[in-house]
Amino acid sequence: MQTILNIVIWVVLALHLIMILVAAWRTWRSENSAARLVGLDVASTLTTAVLILVGIIGNNSLFLDVAIVTTALGYLATVTIAKFISDQRVF
Amino acid sequence: METLQQVIAMILLVLGTFLSLVGVIGFIRLPDVYTRLHATGKVSVFGLVFLLLAVSILTPLTAWKGILLIFFVLLASPAVSHSIASAAYKAGVPLAGPKRDDLKSKLERGSDKDV
Repeated sequence: MQTILNIVIWVVLALHLIMILVAAWRTWRSENSAARLVGLDVASTLTTAVLILVGIIGNNSLFLDVAIVTTALGYLATVTIAKFISDQRVF
Repeated sequence: METLQQVIAMILLVLGTFLSLVGVIGFIRLPDVYTRLHATGKVSVFGLVFLLLAVSILTPLTAWKGILLIFFVLLASPAVSHSIASAAYKAGVPLAGPKRDDLKSKLERGSDKDV
């Protein structure tokens, strides 16, 4: 059962990496900055998922702490950029 | 007990990945910002939540980290999606498709040139 789980985890990790590249390509091709911001939000969610999967593979719970921090920073950055898009200033 | 954990974790992993896939496909295919936010705001976040559930089941000793992150993601993600949508609307991003704009009278909109 352990080997099947390992295979599943590696396949899931590969899928997530492909999804990050696809989201980055679509962000590159999008028409305005709000759509690009959505792309960045998707990319940050997917990188958190990759972090967690690496944590499962390495059997090390440190990655979960890193995932918490990256999620928080990702959301903070997204909200700041959204504020900049709407009002052309941040503070 | 061990294999039961792994079977449940496997199912959750596959489900989470499927949801993230749906979120990314929604992000690619949908016409404008607001519809894309539907896909990414809800679906790819739930993909993450299922992944975190799988982690919490696989490593029960540090399950509280997974639960904490699930709680934080479910708390913060709708707010972030809302901020993107309102920023895009205020900046004047056009709506795709048949227009039914409830917010038109209440909120003044910038012209699209500065986006």
